[in-house]
Amino acid sequence: MRHTTAVYAGMLVAAQALVPASAQNPPPGRLLASNCFQCHGTNGKGPGFDDIAGESPNEIYQKLAEMRAGREGAGLMVKHAMGYTDAQLRQLSQWLSTQR
Amino acid sequence: MDRRKILLSGAALAASTLPGCGGGGSDAGTLKNPLSARDGAPAGDAGQALNPLPPPSAPKARVIVIGGGMGGATVAKYLRLWGDAIDVTLIDSSPRYTSCILSSLVLTGQRTLSSQVFGYGSLRSRYGIHTVIEPVTAVDPVAVSVTLKSGRVLSADRIVMAPGVRFDSVPGLTDPNAMPHAWKAGAQTRVLAQQLAAMPAGGVAVLTVPKAPYRCPPGPYERACLLADWMRRHKPRAKLLVLDANPDFVTEVDNFTRAFMDLHGDIIEYRTGVEIDHVDTPSKTLFTNGGAVRADVVNLIPAQRAAWLVKATGLANATGGRFAAVDVLDYASTAAPNVHVLGDASATTQPKAGHIANQEAKVCADALSRIFAGGSPDPAPVTNSACFSTITMTQASWLHAVFQYDAASRTMVAVPAASGASTGWSGGHYEDMGVWFRALMADSFA
Repeated sequence: MRHTTAVYAGMLVAAQALVPASAQNPPPGRLLASNCFQCHGTNGKGPGFDDIAGESPNEIYQKLAEMRAGREGAGLMVKHAMGYTDAQLRQLSQWLSTQR
Repeated sequence: MDRRKILLSGAALAASTLPGCGGGGSDAGTLKNPLSARDGAPAGDAGQALNPLPPPSAPKARVIVIGGGMGGATVAKYLRLWGDAIDVTLIDSSPRYTSCILSSLVLTGQRTLSSQVFGYGSLRSRYGIHTVIEPVTAVDPVAVSVTLKSGRVLSADRIVMAPGVRFDSVPGLTDPNAMPHAWKAGAQTRVLAQQLAAMPAGGVAVLTVPKAPYRCPPGPYERACLLADWMRRHKPRAKLLVLDANPDFVTEVDNFTRAFMDLHGDIIEYRTGVEIDHVDTPSKTLFTNGGAVRADVVNLIPAQRAAWLVKATGLANATGGRFAAVDVLDYASTAAPNVHVLGDASATTQPKAGHIANQEAKVCADALSRIFAGGSPDPAPVTNSACFSTITMTQASWLHAVFQYDAASRTMVAVPAASGASTGWSGGHYEDMGVWFRALMADSFA
């Protein structure tokens, strides 16, 4: 029963992530998130600075939002986070979370 | 066991029915047989090379990429990762790319030239990209075809040109190696390194900065800083004269002002608004609007324009005929809708540099993937530029910008809060520079 639930839940997540996507309409956030790849690796999986793929969307978003708000010092990544709108940070966090 | 099988088949199904989605996930990433997914389906674990992507057996579109540098390699890779069965051919006259980024460290003996070299093996084996190593002699923007030196003609649905820059000729420079630019990494990098090593103690070197726009805005200044530190250690009493055709530092003004005037003030002499009229090669003399300058070593970086093929194709229609005007939603030339120009050869509000060429390439690949599937480019692309500047042989600064598309001006506009440099320089930033370089090159070539 637990397994079945887990499988269903997994498929549901996969379906949510995949259903709207096509070559014509790629997953929202993917192109935005590709701005991360130069320093964190293709799809956020390294090589590079911290791997950023596969955390929960909220974990990723909260970190970026803190940086964007200027509460995380004055490093390059803080500067980078300030380049996006809040909505863009949510979109790219959502996409990065699908990369496990 | 059963659960695993279900997940695997689910992942395979998702991959086979929804090509073009990059979100393969870990289960898709463990599929060993790439043929279980349809041609053009994404490599779910592209960074790890677990499931190579063969060329599409039934291509839905064809793209020819001219130029295997930062922009060309990246657009080829991401067309294969993101597109639905797009057949990609990458053409370059050289079988390998030599990175300009970090190449000034070859001048100081801190890196080898061979460590700057990146091949196309991964693009072929992991992403199914065809490579043709041959010069291109002509591009027909209407027929969308490319003529190679051998006379062979290749055609495609779209052509992406990322051929980089060429250098203006300098009157009187009869032997380019006598005053090397070393601004395209390779043979001239080695020549300049040898000339610097042979420079006498107490000698004078000159570095010239061309009028903007040129490749890598902070590059000449970071090279000057690096050479000054190297001279301090290896060439006692030597001087470095920096002749800048611009009225001031083109970028990162605070850091370079401090470095030139304070840190390296005993070695660097900085003159602005200096333009080279002509040179005398045998005597290594530059004749400028500020008088004649003779030196032991001359690093003459000429003004730049798009590679000749861009002009020959009729696409050099911006910046006084030097660079190609493009639509930054998809990098299509404004003069030829089926030919795209990105990287240093295009005229945009973005800097000419490898890191942002990589992102321009992703915007172009995403746009073409959508267009081939009957859609339109993302109406609000974002790009970023990031780089590190060597202020000494062991310390660096960083420089960064994020650009958002502005629909009113149809240009990429720098976000003020996200644009700027580090406050000063440090050994930590120097270490970060190495991490950045490895990541950037892997995202472009591996």
